[in-house]
Amino acid sequence: MAIHAAGLEGFYARMPSDRPLAPPPAQTEDPAIFDLADVQAEFVRRDGDGLAAELLVEGIHCAACVWLIERHLGQMPGVRGVQVNLAARRLNVRWDPQRVALSGLLEALAGIGYAALPYDVDAVEGRLQRTQRARLYRLGFAAFAMMNLLWISIALYTGADRGEHRDLLYWAGWALATPTLLYAGWPFLQGAWTGLRHAHPTMDLPIAIGALATYGYSTWAMFLGGPQAGVYFDTVVNFLFVILVGRHLEGLSRRQAMSATHRLMELQPRIATRLDGDAAQRVSVRSLRTDDRVLVRPGEQVPVDGVILEGETAVDESLLSGESTPRARTSGERVYAGTQNLDGAVTLAVEHTLADTALGRIARLVEVAQGCKAPVQRLADRIVPWFVTATLGLAALTFAAWIGQGFEIALMASVAVLIVTCPCAFGLATPMAIAVAAGTGARRGILVKTGAALETLAGIDHVVFDKTGTLTRGRLTVVDSSWQGVDEGSALAAVAALERRSEHGIGAALVDYAKTHGQAAAARTVEGFRARPGRGIAGTVDGRAWVVGSPTWIAAEGVVHDPDWDALRDTHETRGRTVVIAAVDGRTVGLFALADRLREDAREVVAELDAAGLGVTLLSGDREAVAGAVAAELGIEAVVAEVLPEDKAAVIADLQASGQRVAMVGDGVNDAPALAQADVGIALGSGTDVSVECAGIVLGRDRLGQLTEARHLAAATLRTVRQNIALSITYNLVMVPLAMLGMVTPLLAALTMPLSSLAVIGNAALLRRRVPETLPTGPAADGVEPTAVAAGHAEVSPWR
Amino acid sequence: MEVIYFLIPLMILLGLVMVGILFWAARSGQYDDLEGSANRILMDDDDPLLPDRERRE
Repeated sequence: MAIHAAGLEGFYARMPSDRPLAPPPAQTEDPAIFDLADVQAEFVRRDGDGLAAELLVEGIHCAACVWLIERHLGQMPGVRGVQVNLAARRLNVRWDPQRVALSGLLEALAGIGYAALPYDVDAVEGRLQRTQRARLYRLGFAAFAMMNLLWISIALYTGADRGEHRDLLYWAGWALATPTLLYAGWPFLQGAWTGLRHAHPTMDLPIAIGALATYGYSTWAMFLGGPQAGVYFDTVVNFLFVILVGRHLEGLSRRQAMSATHRLMELQPRIATRLDGDAAQRVSVRSLRTDDRVLVRPGEQVPVDGVILEGETAVDESLLSGESTPRARTSGERVYAGTQNLDGAVTLAVEHTLADTALGRIARLVEVAQGCKAPVQRLADRIVPWFVTATLGLAALTFAAWIGQGFEIALMASVAVLIVTCPCAFGLATPMAIAVAAGTGARRGILVKTGAALETLAGIDHVVFDKTGTLTRGRLTVVDSSWQGVDEGSALAAVAALERRSEHGIGAALVDYAKTHGQAAAARTVEGFRARPGRGIAGTVDGRAWVVGSPTWIAAEGVVHDPDWDALRDTHETRGRTVVIAAVDGRTVGLFALADRLREDAREVVAELDAAGLGVTLLSGDREAVAGAVAAELGIEAVVAEVLPEDKAAVIADLQASGQRVAMVGDGVNDAPALAQADVGIALGSGTDVSVECAGIVLGRDRLGQLTEARHLAAATLRTVRQNIALSITYNLVMVPLAMLGMVTPLLAALTMPLSSLAVIGNAALLRRRVPETLPTGPAADGVEPTAVAAGHAEVSPWR
Repeated sequence: MEVIYFLIPLMILLGLVMVGILFWAARSGQYDDLEGSANRILMDDDDPLLPDRERRE
């Protein structure tokens, strides 16, 4: 068998011989098939020199399970890292394929009572549905038994327990309680048994002991107890029912927490057109391999990440970058899965598919964040087994203290203690809050990579901004135009009429400019339109031949070089502006200068940080004068200009050395070291480059205003976590002593226990409402001076 | 009161039928999407797919 890979024997040797391996639960397929390279290709990714996979694990329902799985797998040889996502019941495992096989890991999981499946979005939905339905069946059956037991109880309490029908009613109760315990209560019995056998007690243990003890006593009382002994079948059934309701609601909210990530992955097309020689064939994206050639027709979604081999087109990358202006892409350039191919057919060489694509990485960032544990959470994981043990001890103590009053009273009091304690609420406190925060953020375009990043962001003292692309738009706007020998208005309208047909960013800037000058382009007739992505355009407008574009494009179109414009061109170019020349009938008539401008919401965000008492620093690789002008515009006092990328990190480190907790907001590759150095790195933008890998939080909608929202989210999350922990501790401090004093009946205990879990979940779910969504501020009218920021264009060629 | 020996089993049987109906409903997917159906009823099948088409006809 393939599963007997070298590392596996080591695992068996490590297992204590007196504790037999449990029979694996129903595994749908032989785990050995997961060792086949072909099968693994679908869900295993490379991680350094090892492998990593995402597994869906059935049977996780408590923080104790998380702890058990992580400890159990973590001690296996060859396993490099294990992380369980409680909210999504997912397991992220990294291992060394030389020392252990994936099937070995799956079998080890089965040994401790968890069935694992490779995580695949399709499979997850099916699996979730199955568990959810099974839970619903159990819940339905328990509800039926409970309702019937209620009228039996009424009859017994109102005197039937002394009448002739007593035995019949007892029998009916027993007939209802027995299948309820065995069928509806099965998950608890199973969970308790697994926990016991591996000496890692979970919350199922007190529940199972409570139910079994009450049921066992009632059965004994019914058959042998004589007329004085009470029968408590209604207690058993009621409390199983109430706990099942709690689990069901928990399951529903967990599923909701997951759905945000799923939606991200669903944005990728599943089918691609593969070229084999000259034949085109529709195939599943799953079956594509690196370097396959794929044809993307105009109007189609790009199915994979790849490099263009042939053709040129404009691509709408707003899904990834938030920027609505299409980008020109030509041979040798990269396009990303999920983006929209607009106007040209291109052939791609496949680089990445599915989960490895830029989009897949974004989805994974969210998942990692949802599974990531804040330091508070790790504490909770360790506490649960002790908590359960303490509960059992307290129950035994209660029993011993009350036994003098009679067996029945002692039993009821100790059962109440067992049921009332709830480390589940404690275990759920942090992960639920973080899962909801990550999900809420994702829906609003704020991707939270780690729970720790959120925690830190809530307590930050100083925010450092990068300039280009962060405080400024990173996108071109016309800042100046001059004309000679033509009517300015009609010339602008003609240019706009041409540029409207171009999907390029500069075209959009020119059209916007014409619009703000009251020149609508619609009335013009355009003939013979030609465009060269990244160069310029040409066409006949109202009978005159126009050429608009870069100086080289103009020259290539046969426009005579006119030295009169050189001085003006030089002035703009030395200030880092981009120059676009317009010519008509072979003669240069106009010149546009384009530059970056401030983001509309930059001033607002800086003012808001100031008001909150946080320090703000502008950090830029640009010249002192330019950086200073931007800082003055925004009211930032601290400016550090002319820094190299590697020195940016040093600036952050200096701030940290002075005892401040620093958040860095940046967008480019040049900010990556600073993002990594900062206590929290916040990246703006597309999620495709290094800056995103280094940042803890990604603002995906390309709006600076989201920073404010992220800070609110962080503060609300921390508050919710604290509230949740306080809630569960208070609950236990109040209820456990009451139960020990015999003042809580088992039924009341069964009602309050899931209530405490639900209170914690509900409190976490409220997080969504506590953070107001900031709406994008519309493009500010002329109030904002189009500050020409000369910087940045040396780094970023506008003619992409 | 002998009728109770007949009525109690009958009631339990009746309850079991209800449970059976619940199982059937869950199995046929009626509990998989609790939000979709509430919205679906608001959409008419004969709504035009494109607002334009309505005007032309």
